[in-house]
Amino acid sequence: MIAATHSNHQARAAGSEQARWDPVLLFTFTALVSIGMLMVYSASLPVAIQTTGNGFSIAFRHLIHLAIGLSLMFFVMHTRVRYWQVMGPYLLLGGIALLILVLIPGFGVHVNGSSRWLNLGLFNVQPSEFVKLFVVIYMSGYLVRRKDRLREFVPGIVMISLVVAIIGVLLLQEPDLGSLAVISVTVLAMMFLAGVRFLHFIMIMATGIGGMVILTMVAPYRMNRIAGFIDPWADPFNTGFQLVQALIAFGRGEWFGVGLGASIQKLSYLPAAHTDFLLAILAEELGLLGVLTVIILFAILVFRAMKIAQLAEFAGQIFAARLCQGIAILLGVQALINMGVNMGLLPTKGLTLPLLSAGGSSLIVSSISVGLLLLVEREIRTKSWPQKKSA
Amino acid sequence: MAKTKRPVPGRLRHNIVLIVFTVAFVVVAGRASYLQIFSADYLKREGNARYLRVSQDNAVRGMIVDRMGTPLAISTPVDSIWAHPYTFNSARGNIKELARLLSMSVYELNKLATKNANREFMYLRRHVTPKVAQRIKAMEYPGVFLQREYRRYYPMGSVFGHVVGFTNIDDVGQEGLELSYEPLLRATPGKKRVLKDRRGKIVETVESISLPIAGRDLKVSLDRRIQYLAYRELKAAVKKHNAKSASAIVLDAETGEILAMVNEPGFNPNSRLERKSQLFRNRAVTDVLEPGSTLKPFTIAAALESGRYTPGTWVNTSPGFYKIGSKTIRDSHNYGRLTVAGVIQKSSNVGAAKIALTIGKQRLWDILTSVGFGQRTGSALPGEATGSLRNPDRWVTIDQAAMSYGYGISVTPIQLARAYTALANQGNLVQLTMLPGQEPVYTENVMSKSTATQIIQMLELAAGSQGTGNAAQVRFYRVAGKTGTVHKLVNGQYSDDDYVALFAGVAPVSNPKLVMVVTVDGPRGDQYYGGQIAAPVFANVIAGAMRLLNIPPDAGSKYKKQIVKVKKSGPA
Repeated sequence: MIAATHSNHQARAAGSEQARWDPVLLFTFTALVSIGMLMVYSASLPVAIQTTGNGFSIAFRHLIHLAIGLSLMFFVMHTRVRYWQVMGPYLLLGGIALLILVLIPGFGVHVNGSSRWLNLGLFNVQPSEFVKLFVVIYMSGYLVRRKDRLREFVPGIVMISLVVAIIGVLLLQEPDLGSLAVISVTVLAMMFLAGVRFLHFIMIMATGIGGMVILTMVAPYRMNRIAGFIDPWADPFNTGFQLVQALIAFGRGEWFGVGLGASIQKLSYLPAAHTDFLLAILAEELGLLGVLTVIILFAILVFRAMKIAQLAEFAGQIFAARLCQGIAILLGVQALINMGVNMGLLPTKGLTLPLLSAGGSSLIVSSISVGLLLLVEREIRTKSWPQKKSA
Repeated sequence: MAKTKRPVPGRLRHNIVLIVFTVAFVVVAGRASYLQIFSADYLKREGNARYLRVSQDNAVRGMIVDRMGTPLAISTPVDSIWAHPYTFNSARGNIKELARLLSMSVYELNKLATKNANREFMYLRRHVTPKVAQRIKAMEYPGVFLQREYRRYYPMGSVFGHVVGFTNIDDVGQEGLELSYEPLLRATPGKKRVLKDRRGKIVETVESISLPIAGRDLKVSLDRRIQYLAYRELKAAVKKHNAKSASAIVLDAETGEILAMVNEPGFNPNSRLERKSQLFRNRAVTDVLEPGSTLKPFTIAAALESGRYTPGTWVNTSPGFYKIGSKTIRDSHNYGRLTVAGVIQKSSNVGAAKIALTIGKQRLWDILTSVGFGQRTGSALPGEATGSLRNPDRWVTIDQAAMSYGYGISVTPIQLARAYTALANQGNLVQLTMLPGQEPVYTENVMSKSTATQIIQMLELAAGSQGTGNAAQVRFYRVAGKTGTVHKLVNGQYSDDDYVALFAGVAPVSNPKLVMVVTVDGPRGDQYYGGQIAAPVFANVIAGAMRLLNIPPDAGSKYKKQIVKVKKSGPA
């Protein structure tokens, strides 16, 4: 769908075949956003009619977000990887500034007990979604700059932990434990891939898990979610309500689903049907076949990103490699957590399914992320980086 | 960009990450398969339990019509307003306007909704006017819905109040014909399985379990015109004599069909506020009383049947009282020597008692039983009393004597009316019915044809100018009947100032068509005799009914002459 219009000398020399964007990424991206568009429309129909009277209203907003996401993706694809390496710290600082801004009354929009959104007039922006990507970009740069000292304790562990801690504290003020979990796991995995000492890795992982447990135990609503997760049927009308409704949606779907548009769970039974619990509605309407398709598409996306990272690493483009690894993990982990939540494997988190769920910021950031992957793949394939840099 | 020979440092770790991802994706896919294939049945059941509901389609209850097809009870479609409490409570809307339309305060409405918060259904108001229903529908208040129901309407109001009865708000018969013919009239609502969203709105009809079945119409033998006449006359009499209560029954003497049945005090079945249980009693079938002198024709019938008496046999009633043990039976005057016919005409208690003591108690009991006292009439009206007729083995002499003029036995007005059909039908008792056009069922020869005819002639005398019931006379028609004035039993003693005034009669004498019984309980005016209070009601109703039924007059305008003529003709 995105034509190869970018021109450079290597591409020209190697022929038009070389100039194309990675077809695997393009295909999975297109497939996922298309399924997402369709399902958001279907799942949001009842709630849209009920709140605005126009059944297409939420789907239309999703379409706008998709257009913005595609535009930004297109823009990103025509940049250079090295720009992002330079921009990393600034983006992170900007992201942290947004996280602070969201906490200031007047700027932040308060929805369902948390202030996660900034009101930009036409639509709301969720800074934590952007921060996830900015952390990955920054961390890729950091891991390159300090690659020789990563096996030492202070640069390898303490500095990184500090960055995560600052962001973590801000995210917990919203509160948005889900995003913190995704960021922590992503950073952890990036460090692991970048070669921090295994002992350090174990230490920091234990700390992270311990932190999560404590954070869960101090907040009653999180404990409720855990209780609802462990046995949703114990209190199916209260703590376990959302999960029970999601599980019923899966059960109703069976092999091939009840048919597109025929979901019952979306008729005010399942809250957040078009956002966090989109997969449950997809499972109900399109069945196991649809769910497996989505899982496989995400697996392809993650594995392709990891493959590109490996190619970049072989080519000595360490920043590009770390970036791709980070994006692969970011998208993969968030998708897996969302699916796990939908299926009752994980306690409820306020996380979207990347590329599919309604939620403008998530869709835009995910599109940009895929744009970055396409950019890296093309640079590696066409070897179009400044020759002065050596591996 | 020279390629270095050193192994790529991340290779092992890269593979570990890939393996972890692979495992995670496989776990998620496995979980999805488990949920969607292996747990599907369980989860679907759980889901169905949450949104499959059985919904009702109300059907229309059968109509009750009189013998000419005039509606007495009809069901009209009406809407009830109900709400899904959860949706209602979480909704925002113009609750003020809604409360106003429901004629409630906002506070009451919220209280109701809070009380029912854990239910799935609550009525807000039942049976609203079409205008209100339309407005509420147009409001589209979240969680508020309309339900089609049927409201029972009684076009004749209190005229048919007791006999037709009424239904409750759920369309179930509570009294009268509405209750006794409930199985016939009842509408069976259709049932269908529907899928409801969480706000209680029906999304889809899954299956029809049963179709709605309308109730069957019921045509009853009552005649609206005669009923109205009886209603009007009885009401007027009760008012005039300041009576406690009263009943009147008009029967078709040949077929046993009940043409009219009214009671006072009455009530308007259309007004729920007026429905006070003490007003509901259909006294004509539920209340027992001592029939008094209206029973004498049957005593005399037993005497004639015994062969020891003819209408002309002399009986000495002098000196106007008769001592049996410690009890004294009294007449209002000393009538001296009376014929048997005279005993009826003058309503002599002494005469009746003397006759009864000579014919034996078994004979008296036999005839009272055969004309149906002590047995229900089968009128199919709810709450019918049996009355009581004690076994003759337990009668002592005074009982036998008292029985002859209608004390010591209790009957319902409808039993009394049925007994008179035996007189009207030349000795054949007819079974009473509420259904018109059926083949009449007779108990034949409860007395001989000649006895019945002679009694009727005596009763014509009793209703004649020299009789106690002369107020029962009707212009152009010959009527026969017997008055009764009964001292009521109050705390085991016969009261001196609390009476029941009765009249039971037949018309026209030449070919009896109607039997009518009038009872007026507790008149509190100057007058209390059956001949003064009950007989005029009979006369007014019969006069109207004769014309309404197109019955040819059988007497000249000078009915005084007519009576003389009958006397001359003698027993037929």
